[in-house]
Amino acid sequence: MAGQALRRLMAEYKQLSINPPEGILAGPVSEENFFEWEALISGPADTVFEGGLFPAKLVFPSDYPLNPPKMSFLCEMFHPNIFPDGRVCISILHSPGDDPLGYESSSERWSPVQSVEKILLSVVSMLAEPNDESPANVDASKMWRENREEFNKTAQRIVRKTLGL
Amino acid sequence: MRSILIFLTSAVLSAGVIANAVIQKKQFYPSVVYISKSNPSMAVIYFQSLILVLMLGKLMRKIFLGTLRAAEFEHLMERFWYALTETCLAFTVFRDDFNPKFIALFTVLLFLKSFHWLAEDRVDYMERSPVIGWVFHIRVAGLLSVLGFLDYLLIMYAYQSTIAKGPTVQLVFGFEYAILITMVANTTIKYVLHASELRSDTPWENKAVFLLYTELVIGLIRVILYIVFVFLMVKIYTLPLFAFRPMYYTIRNFKKALNDVILSRRAIHNMNTLYPDATAEELALSDNICIICREDMVSSSKKLPCGHIFHTLCLRSWFQRQQTCPTCRLNILRTPITATQPQAQPAANNNANQNVRPNEAPPVPQQNPFLNLLNDNRLGNQVPNPSSSSSVSSATTTTTSTHPGAPFGAPIPPPPFFFPSMPFMAPYTIPPPPMPQNLEQLTEEELRAIEGNERRHVEERIKLLRNVQTMLNASAALMNQYQMVVANLPPPPISLPLQQQQPQQSSSSSSVAAETAEQQSTKVENVSLTKENDNKNEVKLEDVGSEDETINKPSTSRSSEPTSSKTATTLDSPSTTSTFIANESSTINGETNEANEIRKRRLQKFLQSD
Ligand SMILES: [Zn+2]
Ligand SMILES: [Zn+2]
Repeated sequence: MAGQALRRLMAEYKQLSINPPEGILAGPVSEENFFEWEALISGPADTVFEGGLFPAKLVFPSDYPLNPPKMSFLCEMFHPNIFPDGRVCISILHSPGDDPLGYESSSERWSPVQSVEKILLSVVSMLAEPNDESPANVDASKMWRENREEFNKTAQRIVRKTLGL
Repeated sequence: MRSILIFLTSAVLSAGVIANAVIQKKQFYPSVVYISKSNPSMAVIYFQSLILVLMLGKLMRKIFLGTLRAAEFEHLMERFWYALTETCLAFTVFRDDFNPKFIALFTVLLFLKSFHWLAEDRVDYMERSPVIGWVFHIRVAGLLSVLGFLDYLLIMYAYQSTIAKGPTVQLVFGFEYAILITMVANTTIKYVLHASELRSDTPWENKAVFLLYTELVIGLIRVILYIVFVFLMVKIYTLPLFAFRPMYYTIRNFKKALNDVILSRRAIHNMNTLYPDATAEELALSDNICIICREDMVSSSKKLPCGHIFHTLCLRSWFQRQQTCPTCRLNILRTPITATQPQAQPAANNNANQNVRPNEAPPVPQQNPFLNLLNDNRLGNQVPNPSSSSSVSSATTTTTSTHPGAPFGAPIPPPPFFFPSMPFMAPYTIPPPPMPQNLEQLTEEELRAIEGNERRHVEERIKLLRNVQTMLNASAALMNQYQMVVANLPPPPISLPLQQQQPQQSSSSSSVAAETAEQQSTKVENVSLTKENDNKNEVKLEDVGSEDETINKPSTSRSSEPTSSKTATTLDSPSTTSTFIANESSTINGETNEANEIRKRRLQKFLQSD
């Protein structure tokens, strides 16, 4: 019998492929390694990211689901909660013990109750509503706050780029 | 293509160098001497041997590992560069021994180290892949035995050389291979554990524990090895700077392993002693899926104080990291068991309290959040010497966790006393907890007990704060109840005339308002409740009142007044609601008409004197 982490990841993959959430595709990069997933997230409707298709990578720790995976976008992103190198910074991806930014209640952070699906849904809602309290990309956060027009333009450019236009 | 080109170039170059030497010197030994004396020739020979080593490495990799995954390769490169810099540092210590043989030995060391790392990564990968075939097993087993054998040979060689010639650079090699052989042992144990888990049909319970103890023992051996090595090196040569980085990591890993073992032991202990096994009924009531592993709970499972059920093993590994409920994040270490199973074990709860004070706290059929608050409060106050901190701390902590309907939001169905058919009766059975002591009323001695920096003083202070906290929690719980009751009620029958009179006269003191409200409420109660209920309430009241050693009713009601007034003031809500709330909380006392009359008179006196 396979290890616990692997069994749970297989269960989640099965669940996701039977009942995929709208606008999200996710699965292991290869059938031989279930600890690296690729996801394709379509930008939420009625937001500046609408129409974009954003590829992302999830890397799971060997003690998943006790610790959260790491997620990063594989395409260029410009968003207050995404580091310039693509890493996603939202509270659900932070393990319950550490609080690097110091102002998240532990109830928002990772626990085994969460899942890949919940992470991806949180990312979609993060795209729709940036949280500029804990900016990962200070420039994007500043622009989002002070110059929304410019931010929207940049987002639109990125959306076109992900579509290969 | 490029590697073939490099290989051909180096082969041609070394052939040229050797041919040149042979042509010039004609004989074997002079040729060797000639090559070793000429720097360009030596460079070519070094390059050639490097190429050969790389080719050998590729061959071994093909045999034992197949294709490397990208992560494995990155990991290898990262560790390789660190090891290379450390080797260069080691060169500075042994620069007197610097010769081709020395370089060859270091190359062999690095070469073998790389394969140790790769073997380790490969065994870790076993946990990640669902497709592990027999080729994998043969390769890993073969690689591990070859590495272990080579390590052993090289340790023996280093040992004999040190015995024969005294301490040389062989000391370093012997030590390095000793570390590597511990790595082989560790990897082998992990491999065996993983492999046997793969073979079994059920999840293997104690694998995680075995792994933890393996890490601990191997870590200890490594730490000892490093300490001995550094000690020897300092005595014979100098401070071995090149060993410091790996030594640091070894010590850190050992510390982590030790910490993990301690946490694991604590988790196992807690699991075995604190939490009951979930019964078949409880499993049937829940959705029977362990939220940690998303699998059915057929094997042993545990129920937490908050009512959530998980596999024993899943919970154990989670508790090694976090001492909270995975679902509702209740801090389980701070939550005692008896008081926190509101529906499941009311009888046990009451029994426990009766043991403490057999004359008090009669079994109350309804489970009320106040009951816990009150009982806990009593417990906490009664403990004469607060150094038995476990019971004291449990008394406080339950206050945060025992009223799950309150803003803390634990997903537990509302306790049974919210039946809409009898909303008035519900909260009356138990009066609110006593008010924290007023600081002005404290005696000198009590004040001194609070002052000061010693433990006992701090405990006194905490006790006081705890009472305040109990009060706050109680009012929160009260508020919650009232809101639910109000939501379920037709417009409350409030006798308006009384209410309108008094606020005008009173100097906006809310306690007065509360007291007047009490009068009204008794009227309401007299209408709505049967005589029987009244009597029942009276009995309860006496029981509770005896705690303060004041059995007469007025004073009992006195002690409860501040609560009701507090609820009313803190809420700051429209007057009808707040009066209504005051109504309700005051009727908790279930006064008879006589007592009420006394109070009414007292109130009038009070108002007049004002
Ligand atoms: Zn489980
Ligand atoms: Zn819970």
